[in-house]
Amino acid sequence: MESRLASLVIEGLKRAHVRFVVGLPDSMLAGVYVAAEKDPDIRYVAVTNEAEGASVAAGTWITGGRSVLVMENSGLRAACEALARLGLVNGVPVTMLMGYRGDLGERFHWGVNHGMTMEPILKALRIPYWIIDREEQIVPAIGRAVVHGISSLYHTAVVFRTPLVDEGK
Amino acid sequence: MKRYELLKQLARLVTAEDLVVTSIGGVKPEWYSLMPSNGTMFADLLGCATPFALGVALNLPHRRVVALDTDGGVLFNLGALCTVGKELPPNLTIIVLDNERYEGVVGGPPTHTSGRVDLERIAEGSGIPCTATVREIENFFESATKMLSDGQVGLLVAKIEPGLFKDIPPERAKESDGIEDKYRFMRHIEKLEKISIRPRYALE
Repeated sequence: MESRLASLVIEGLKRAHVRFVVGLPDSMLAGVYVAAEKDPDIRYVAVTNEAEGASVAAGTWITGGRSVLVMENSGLRAACEALARLGLVNGVPVTMLMGYRGDLGERFHWGVNHGMTMEPILKALRIPYWIIDREEQIVPAIGRAVVHGISSLYHTAVVFRTPLVDEGK
Repeated sequence: MKRYELLKQLARLVTAEDLVVTSIGGVKPEWYSLMPSNGTMFADLLGCATPFALGVALNLPHRRVVALDTDGGVLFNLGALCTVGKELPPNLTIIVLDNERYEGVVGGPPTHTSGRVDLERIAEGSGIPCTATVREIENFFESATKMLSDGQVGLLVAKIEPGLFKDIPPERAKESDGIEDKYRFMRHIEKLEKISIRPRYALE
């Protein structure tokens, strides 16, 4: 059965007329990838790293196919160069949805560094973001991130933090 | 085979209905001088021509899309070939301009394709059904013609000589930056597809 989180994310994407979900799987948003792949109105494109994903998402977006890139927040580091070039040089937006791995209370040692670097990188790249932790924020956050991408022609991000997302095992 | 000669042949095959995505490097000013229309996205990122073009091809499956990539660009992001091989967009053709070096870098240091690395075989192993490597201009035209019309995704490695074409007429010189390139391409798509991508007011 689809999780409540995944259902709300899909609802938010549809309301924002997003047709492409480009993703590299992670545990926190695990249900979202599955739901996107199953949904007949959404094309899910699995990629091999987040930099590649940013480019695929940019290619659909600039030709009228609204897209989001779904990933773990460590993907932000992998995608930095692509995001910097696409955003700062070409002005083609990528809207990102990511789980907040390394948030205060992180149980895994390997995840702590993700939390330490996420917000400084978002700020360094001047990417507006909204960290959400309640279900009622999901649909409006996705909508606002997509709209802001269109008006600013620059990247945006929605970060899902616990208890909204499962930290995984 | 020189890149400019190859691009001249390609310009004969690409129509106003087609879309092209270029990599960074010497291909940009040369292709612009031959094809100054707005149907080309001059992406400014090493390794993004193929994945960017994949996004274009998936979104506009009724249009032929050409990725003008390079050896350095493909090597930078090899996983993109695997994604292409998984998605198999029939309207995408990837042309890899392989001069076996990082030409934009002082001294033109070699890329891995100057040794035993074979991009065609990597593409084949990634699941791309139609692949070829060409060294002569006649073979390029023949292979590119076939790949652009066979209705399946293809990757063509074109082994080219290093060197930038130096005699581009001033009126055909590319002077735009990445932002202008983006607007030109986006507005071109809006007109071509009769859609609105970036309206004056973005509505939720």
